[in-house]
Amino acid sequence: MEIQSSGVQPRATGPLAQADQLVLDLLPAAVYVCDGHGRIVRYNRRASELWGRSPDLLETEERFCGAHRLLDADGRLVPHDGSPMAKVLTSGEGVQDREVQIERPDGSRIWVLVNIAALFDENGSVSGAINCFQDVTDRKRAETQARESDRALVASEQRWRKLLEALPSAVYTTDGNGRLNFYNEAAATLWGYRPQLGETLWCGSLRLFWPDGRPMPHDQCPMAATVKAGIPVTGEAVLGRPDGSRIPFSAHPMPLEDESGAMTGAINMLVDISRHKRAEERQILLINELNHRVKNTLATVQSLAMQSLRHSASAEAFRDTFGARLRALSRAHDLLTTGSWEKAGLRSIALQELEPHGFEGGSRIEVHGDDLELPPRAALTLSMAFHELATNAVKHGALSEPAGRLLLEWSVAKRDDGRNHLEIVWVERGGPPVSPPNRRGFGSRLVERSVVSELQGEVNLDFAQEGLRCFIDIPLPAPVSRQT
Amino acid sequence: MPGEVSLRGCRVLLVEDETLVALLLEDMLEEIGCTVAAFAASVREGVKLAESLDLDAAVLDVNVGGVEVYPVAEALAARRIPFVFCSGYGASGLQPPWCEKPVLAKPFVQTELESALRRVCAAVPPDP
Repeated sequence: MEIQSSGVQPRATGPLAQADQLVLDLLPAAVYVCDGHGRIVRYNRRASELWGRSPDLLETEERFCGAHRLLDADGRLVPHDGSPMAKVLTSGEGVQDREVQIERPDGSRIWVLVNIAALFDENGSVSGAINCFQDVTDRKRAETQARESDRALVASEQRWRKLLEALPSAVYTTDGNGRLNFYNEAAATLWGYRPQLGETLWCGSLRLFWPDGRPMPHDQCPMAATVKAGIPVTGEAVLGRPDGSRIPFSAHPMPLEDESGAMTGAINMLVDISRHKRAEERQILLINELNHRVKNTLATVQSLAMQSLRHSASAEAFRDTFGARLRALSRAHDLLTTGSWEKAGLRSIALQELEPHGFEGGSRIEVHGDDLELPPRAALTLSMAFHELATNAVKHGALSEPAGRLLLEWSVAKRDDGRNHLEIVWVERGGPPVSPPNRRGFGSRLVERSVVSELQGEVNLDFAQEGLRCFIDIPLPAPVSRQT
Repeated sequence: MPGEVSLRGCRVLLVEDETLVALLLEDMLEEIGCTVAAFAASVREGVKLAESLDLDAAVLDVNVGGVEVYPVAEALAARRIPFVFCSGYGASGLQPPWCEKPVLAKPFVQTELESALRRVCAAVPPDP
């Protein structure tokens, strides 16, 4: 590139002047010189490169700056006579490290860092100025990018924080030393208070316990394990709130790492598992209750078997008696299951036991009474009682002969004690003559014992010659609902 | 015979809400040689009998109509009358301070009842 050096100077001539220009052109910085009128008297190669043009020297139309257009740091156009160089020539005061933008003829822009010093003549008047400027576009671009990525980082962090805040699960973080540096609302709610950030260690809960109820030091909680070992952990514990309540929870701490993989802290999510624990306890309770019922029922079946064995003359008789009793018990269970083990209807109970003995034929057996709802205990007792009475009637009583009749009826009446009493009457007629048995059979024992002990009722078994009569009187727990 | 406690003629209180099971127990006790002195199907009735009757031993169902039988046990313990628990829950069904007491797990057979009764009767020091 040809360097323009015509004009006012140099004073030196020959090889020295040539060396002078060469030095300027070898400089990595751009340099130009203006005279007192602002005319460009000299510039080096780098200046020409940065301007993107080579202005004519001593051009009066184009003073102060060789750039196509000049813009300030904010991107506003600066007229050449308002440029830093023009100001230095006016004031004589230099400029240090001013950032401006140069727009080249092709429209491209670069950032330059400008330093200007004034030149004075022997009278102390400003005779010119030297402008030394360098391209800082790359640095400016890097700075802008860094600012933008900082902004993006802040925005991203805010987004994450908002996200964590909005989570319904309790979440908190600690630094690498285990000090809390963030927790969300759900965590504060779970803990029942707001621990001090930057001070509280390991976990924000006031107190901690092992699942078995022993106190757990904070530095042994799952979060502490994660921060100390740098690995994710899952654990269960119980936290104690300031109000004394305790909440079982599961913790899921994970280490947080920077880009280099170094641990910067940890994040922990706490899940309230009290509902889960309650369900677990309820299930255990239900299983225990079921086991209890099964064992009691087995004892009941054992009793039926022993009683049947005791009064049976043969294995066949035992088989029939025991089987029939087991079926009666099972049918009563069926009725109770239909009523969710809360109730069963008296009429349903009676019919269930009488139907196998010809109730449906109609004429021999009469049943009168509402389908009173009975509690499980009374339902089971009366079920077995009817079974024993019916079996006895079929074997020895009225139902053992075609002419025999059976009447079963009941009603509810209010008594002097203020309670409703259920009165059941079982009357057999037309069967073979009845005589009181020599020894108490299982049936009568069962009926008497169960009605008296379990239902606080009374039983009167009348072995009248014309037929067995059984009167049962049971005080009812109020209120009694009726189904008709 | 030293160490062998006779159950013959033992007057036993029976607390059991399930009639069928009570009948079974009654038969078993009679087979063993005991007498069923009284029978209760509720804790309230059981306490009354445990406080007033002349008794040598008792058999207590733990869950009597949904109520725990412990008040009866306390009444018996106060009179130094030995007793055996029986329960569908087995031994795990007992609450403190009764956990160490013998429990017959339902269903049980006559020999189990007999040896349990012998054990508790032998453990009670005779009155001076």
